[in-house]
Amino acid sequence: MDVPRTVTTALADRPVEGRRCLEAGAGVGNTSAGLLDAGAARVYAVTNDRDHARRTRERVADDSARSDAPHRLAVLDADLRAIPLPDDTIDLITAHGLCNVLDPAALSTVADELRRVAVPGCHLVVDDYEPPPDDAAVRDLFAVENAAAELATGRPALTFYPASFLRRFFAGDGWHFDREQTLLDPVPWTTDHLSAHADAATAFAGDCDVAVGDPLTGRADRLATEIGSESVGRMYSLAFRLSG
Amino acid sequence: METRPLGTTGHDSTVMTFGTIALNWLEQEGANQMVEHVLDYGVNHFDVAPMYGDAELKLGPKLRQHREEIFLGCKTEKRSYEGAWQRLDESLDRLGVEKIDLYQVHGLEYDDELDEITADDGALRAFREAKEQGIVDHIGLTSHSRPDLIIDAIDRIDDLESLMFPLNPVVAGKDDGEHDYEAVLQRANEEDIGTLGIKAFADGSWPDTDELPERDRPFCNWYRPVCAPDEIRDRFDFAASQGLTSVVSAGDPKLVTMILEAAADYDGMDEAAQRSLIEGSRHDDSPVPEQLHH
Repeated sequence: MDVPRTVTTALADRPVEGRRCLEAGAGVGNTSAGLLDAGAARVYAVTNDRDHARRTRERVADDSARSDAPHRLAVLDADLRAIPLPDDTIDLITAHGLCNVLDPAALSTVADELRRVAVPGCHLVVDDYEPPPDDAAVRDLFAVENAAAELATGRPALTFYPASFLRRFFAGDGWHFDREQTLLDPVPWTTDHLSAHADAATAFAGDCDVAVGDPLTGRADRLATEIGSESVGRMYSLAFRLSG
Repeated sequence: METRPLGTTGHDSTVMTFGTIALNWLEQEGANQMVEHVLDYGVNHFDVAPMYGDAELKLGPKLRQHREEIFLGCKTEKRSYEGAWQRLDESLDRLGVEKIDLYQVHGLEYDDELDEITADDGALRAFREAKEQGIVDHIGLTSHSRPDLIIDAIDRIDDLESLMFPLNPVVAGKDDGEHDYEAVLQRANEEDIGTLGIKAFADGSWPDTDELPERDRPFCNWYRPVCAPDEIRDRFDFAASQGLTSVVSAGDPKLVTMILEAAADYDGMDEAAQRSLIEGSRHDDSPVPEQLHH
């Protein structure tokens, strides 16, 4: 599998080699692969999405190009609000595209957990998206997804935190700010991305009252089709470390 | 238009090279206008080949009129000494000129071809004789085959002064060696070999001919090109910002003006924008590497 440039760029100036790493929110394993390629001694990929856990195992651990990956990678099917790792065990944490799927309450609890498992001197890499600009078409689709999620669960599906916000947030939790860089500018929201967001909106809408859910589903599908793809906004990388 | 040194040739090539295969699809009058159009933008490096239909013949009149303004690259697909000499003579005849500035091995595809061209009775012997006779100034090689084969060619051809190979965001996003043309670029730059980027505008492969017959394709390129002005500009900027000497324009004449505009306006591309293009096409299939001729 190919490791995205966003991942290799964000990790390029971090001390990964020989470290015990935590990929917080494994997605489909892109950052786990990047950490393994950069020489991590151990990677714990944590996700509460069973499909993501399975895909991470398949894509990373079973990739013949990483023959020793099964010995260095552990995919943990777990909630990041209760990470199944002891205190003070992790040297480097990555949260690549994680925070935008955490509402403020979840972000706060997850941050507590990251702090708990981190050893003194631990590094933290937070990569995420600035809020899309006001005139971005994708905002409409994300709004529908959030509306459906709020109605179905009482929480938004997506929260785009400005880099300045997360910088202050983690600094307030004891992390010393190291650097910020731009990973993507603009962010390519491809047809596949928008289709996935429309599917997510549809899934949430399915848990809503039909009178509300059906129009939201229709609106999400229509927007995904109309927009097609859009390159807009910025993805950033923040790096922090704890005092040794 | 920005120029860059083409390796050790002593020539500064414009950041865009005109791929004259585009002339093959035009009548002579249109071909003449196209050459004037390209020259108006300041392009000084043209690339042609006998395999590009009538491109050599259609380039001829304007090439002769503007010979001093054009650094001419030509190629041969022949691998033997006799074959290469014959093709070179034919090209000089069809182009109507006495000298080719850069003569290139065309479309290296297989290991045994590299053995053949570097053998005592191989094409490179003809290239070198032509160089001694002042018919050819510099020797180059083109390939859209495996990156490791191109690097092997660098190792085995000491007097290689230019390389032409694919580079675009789709191949840049793939980690495997099969698509690692960036390794070719790095090695060429280390050796001070000029680099000409092709397939910068390739978007993917055409659908199967059962689904889309060749006659119904909207562009003459053997791959499906990007065609919107913004996409053309992004692709040009990406290729030109990778460290290539020059980016070869796409073969369909409908795309040439957009590429000229992009080349004329080129002023670099920052790394976040480069990554954005790689990320946006990360799951796309690449039409290269490809063995086209066998």
